[in-house]
Order: sequence, then structure tokens, then C-alpha cells
Amino acid sequence: MVTNKKDKEKMPSGVAVAGRAKKLLNLFSYQAVGTLLVFLALILVFIFFTPHHLFVDPRNIKALAKLTPDLGIVALGVGMLMISGEFDLSVSTVLPFSSYIFVLLLRAGINPVFSLFMAMGVGALLGLLNGLITVKGHIPSFIATLGTMMFWRGVLYVHSRMWPIGIRAYFPAGSSFEHVLIGEIGGVVPAQVIWFVVFALILGVVLHFHKFGNWVYATGDNKEAARAMGINTDRVKTICFMIVGTLSGFVGVMQLLRLGSFAATQGLGFELKAIAASVVGGTSLMGGIGSIAGIFWGALTIQILENGLILMRVPVFGISAFIGLAVILFVVLNTYMRRRMMMMR
Amino acid sequence: MSSFSTDGKSEKSLVKMVSIEKWFGKVHALEGIDFEVRCSEVVGLVGDNGAGKSTLIKVLSGYHLADKGEIYFEGKKVNIASSLHARKLGIETVYQEQALAPNLSISRNIFMGREPVRSLGFMDKKSMDRESMKALQSIGLHLRSPDALITMLSGGERQGVAIARALHFKAKLVILDEPTIALSVREARQVLEFIKQLKREGISVIFITHNLYHVFPSADRFVVLTRGEKIADIQKKDTSIDDLFELIVKPPSHN
Ligand SMILES: Nc1ncnc2c1ncn2[C@@H]1O[C@H](COP(=O)(O)OP(=O)(O)OP(=O)(O)O)[C@@H](O)[C@H]1O
Ligand SMILES: [Mg+2]
Repeated sequence: MVTNKKDKEKMPSGVAVAGRAKKLLNLFSYQAVGTLLVFLALILVFIFFTPHHLFVDPRNIKALAKLTPDLGIVALGVGMLMISGEFDLSVSTVLPFSSYIFVLLLRAGINPVFSLFMAMGVGALLGLLNGLITVKGHIPSFIATLGTMMFWRGVLYVHSRMWPIGIRAYFPAGSSFEHVLIGEIGGVVPAQVIWFVVFALILGVVLHFHKFGNWVYATGDNKEAARAMGINTDRVKTICFMIVGTLSGFVGVMQLLRLGSFAATQGLGFELKAIAASVVGGTSLMGGIGSIAGIFWGALTIQILENGLILMRVPVFGISAFIGLAVILFVVLNTYMRRRMMMMR
Repeated sequence: MSSFSTDGKSEKSLVKMVSIEKWFGKVHALEGIDFEVRCSEVVGLVGDNGAGKSTLIKVLSGYHLADKGEIYFEGKKVNIASSLHARKLGIETVYQEQALAPNLSISRNIFMGREPVRSLGFMDKKSMDRESMKALQSIGLHLRSPDALITMLSGGERQGVAIARALHFKAKLVILDEPTIALSVREARQVLEFIKQLKREGISVIFITHNLYHVFPSADRFVVLTRGEKIADIQKKDTSIDDLFELIVKPPSHN
């Protein structure tokens, strides 16, 4: 690490380096240390307690690596929206809706790249709608997006008649488009992982270093203050809704390619799992607190918890109980730690 | 329309509100208020609960639009349509409801909504930190780090951060809505020091409070509101704490 001259003049370089290292650490672990620790602990537990150590079987790891980014990318958007003080339950409908749009366009002979952008555009539009209903209608987004979730799901189910639509007929296997979205780098790392990391980095940089990120935090933390300081909080929230929609659209297509067939039930349950991932990652349900690193680890934690329990042959509904328990424990832990921090002042 | 006051102090008018009216549904919160603040003057705005003090200054800071009336800033007629507009004119408000985001750092709060950027809208964190510390020091507040979260500060320090923010952005008028409420004696005294510092820097202040002992030593002039009407506008030399107290508790004349 390089220290510039000015700093050296002011303080001993050791202190400066320590200060910088601490800042860097803060950046990557801001409110995420707890999540990271639990994540590592879970991995250890599952390595030892899954039958035949199946958890670390390369096939399981690869499956996990392909699966996790679906929820992870959606959770990044949902978490950022939560930091701005709003929820989006409609992701579990926007995702298959975009996937459906993609398939329809593909079937109409339209170029897949263009279709992907259209699918993401539709996601953004549905997000815009969620945002406008929430901020212009002055209603809680929990209710607004519960409504749009059910509405668009109904439209999708009726229009698609819930029939699966295979994509192979319209889409040659092994195209470069497919490679970019779901290929494997060097035959090892699934492209999905790269996308997850790329989106996390982009959103992380925006949230933590861009002025828009500061507006997101300010809006979620104290909306009145943000407004008084000239921040257009309605616009900030609406943009966050649009980011969630766009990401859900992207995941819809990415998941569609992996599954090879459109299913109207794609993404079912993601709305609550994405919130769970964010909460486990240290995001406050009241807004204003959270970090992309936390949400990233939170999504991994939720997914690994689910995977490990499946491997340990816990029945499906039992898994839901464990995830519920994990969410509650994390919220209690986070709240406790924050209280401790407040008392330290 | 730059007017000079007639009481010998002859300072320039900074802001002048004329016949301001504001309704909230059926509540007539402001019933034609005339209100003026001169350059580097500290005005104490006092009155009982619900008198309309907060509403009046929210009109001035662009939070509410007046239903009637005119506002002149530095002699020019202005139509303050948003808080951003007010801030551009040089009117900074420290609201009664904390104007800070508790879970954000000091420097992020000071530059909230007006972050200095390098390129593409990315924040210039170094300059934010440096300027924050400078602004805090200029009002005599020495805090350890610009990265400390607001929740970790005392009430007095929080008001200091909000006031430092106003100072940094070259406010000409700082509006303080009950800045000493819920503060300990020591913290309140600290805030009163900040106000003196603002006056020394040539900045006008509107100081709203229920505590006459806080406002009396700081202010040059007092304006008393009762149920949306201005019932007194007096220089400090022409009044006393007891007189002001009588004015505030006295029922409105037309009752
Ligand atoms: N946003 C609002 N909507 C409806 N009525 C309001 C609103 N804001 C203020 N009022 C009403 O306007 C009147 C003046 O309120 P205001 O907050 O200006 O009083 P105040 O002098 O600041 O009182 P306090 O000392 O208690 O802060 C009150 O009757 C209040 O109920
Ligand atoms: Mg008030």
C-alpha cells in the first residue's frame, strides 16, 4: 500500500497504513462481518455433516455456483431498494414475466441480444410502475408490490396458460449468446458467478462511492432530512425500483437459458428469499442501513443453508423453518450489535 | 426593494415576508404575517405550541408553499418553490425534526444532496472529509473523525453538524427550529455558542424556541406569534424576558 507524502508528514506511516487498511476492511465488511462469519461457519458445518461430505463434492459446488446467482442478483437489487426504505414483492412475477417476453420475442424470430434488452426493459418498466404507484399513491410498497405481484402473475398465467415453452426450437445450443450468459469460463467457473460478481461490483461502487448511493442511504435513513436537503426522494426510490426490475429481467432470461424452458413458476418464492438474504446481510427493514457486501454474503448464506439442508435430507418444509429461524436470529443479532454500538458513544 | 430599518441600526434587509397566509385544510396556520430579517441579525421567533412558527419558516425554506403573500430576498422578489431553491439563495434550515440521517457519517450528512464529485458523479470523499472537519472547527466543534455516524454523537454535537453544514454552504440566513430542545444544559450552551459564532461570521439567524432564557441573550430582536398572527416585533433593548413571557401567554387581542 502506498501512502502519499502529505499523510506521511502528518502522522507516522505505520498509523497511516493501519488507517487505510482499516478503511479498506470497513468497505468490504461494513455491517457484513457477522454475515461473513456465519457464512463460513455454515460451510464448515455442512462440510462435516452432509452425508459423504457431499457438500464439497465438485458437482454440488458447481450446481450451487450456477444456482446461487439467480437469487443473488435479484437480492442485490431488492437489498438496495430496502436501503432506500422500500420493498419489492413483485420480483417473483417480474422475473418469469420478462422470461416470457424473451421467449415470445425469440419465437417471433427476434435476435436474442435484442430480446434480452427488451426483457430487461420490460422489467424496468414494471419497476417504474411499482415506483410510481408507491410514491405517487403514497402507499406502502409492501402493499403496492403485493398487488402488482398478484396482478402480473395472473396476466402471465392466463396468457401463457402455464404451458412450458422450450427454447431449443428457436435457439441453437452453444451460441455465443448462451456462452456469455451461462457458459463456463475455462470449463470451471460458471458465467452466472461472473455476472453476480459484476453486478455486485457495479451496484457496490454506485451505492458506496457515487452520489446517488448517498441519496439512497439518506432517503432510507431520514426521508424528511433528505427532502429538506434537496434530494428528490421519490425519484431515488423509483430508480431503485427500476434497478430491481431490470435485474429481475436479466435473471429471468439467465435462468431460462439454464432451465432450457420457460416456466410460469420461475422465481417463485424469490420475493421473500431476497428480503431474507438482505436482512441476513445486515440490511435494516427500516431503510438507511445495509451494504452490497452484506447482501452478497447474505444471498450466499441463504442459498448454502438451503443446499446444505437438502443434502442432509431435511424435508422441504423443514428447510423453510430453518431459513425462517436464521432470519430471526440475524435480525436479533444485528439489532443487538447496533444497540451495543449506540451505547458505546 | 432594499429597505433600511428605522431604529438606528440601519442594516440592510436580507429577507422580507409580506402578508403570508397558509392554510392546512381548515386550519388557518398563518393569518397574514409580515416578517423581516436584516443582515447579521439574530431574530428570536417565539410563541406557544401551534402558533405557526415552524410553518412560517417552512414557507421561507421552500418546504411549504404559501397560499398568499410575497417574499423578498436581498430586495428581489422571489418565489421559493423548493428546498433546493431556498438553499441556492443561501437559506439553510436546521429543522425541529432532526435534519440529519442518523446512520450516515458526518461528512455524508454535511454534503447530503450536494456532494462534491470528481467525475461521472462519483463523490470526492477526501474533499468531503477535509471540508467537513474544517466546517466543524469553524464553529468550534472538534470531533474525532468525519466518518463517525450521527447516532454516536450527542444532541449538541448533532446540532453542530447541522449548523456546520449551513456554514459550509455559505448560508446567508440560518434557520434554527428549536435547536436546544431535548439537550442537556451543557449541550444547549454549546449550541448557543454556535449561534454566536454564526453572527460573528455575518450570518443572519432565525432562532425558534420555547426557552426564553436560551433565546434572550442570543437574539437582537423578537417576533411573537399567537395562533397564526404576529402580535409583537420588538428590539431586545425595548423588552425583557418577563415582557416576552406575558406576550406569549396573553390570549389573542380579538378574543
Ligand atoms: N403539515 C401540516 N398539516 C396540517 N396541519 C398542520 C401541518 N403543519 C402544521 N399544522 C398546523 O398548523 C398550526 C401551526 O403549526 P406549527 O407547527 O407551525 O406550530 P409551531 O409554532 O411550530 O408549534 P410548536 O412550538 O409546537 O412547534 C398548528 O395548528 C398545526 O396543527
Ligand atoms: Mg414547531
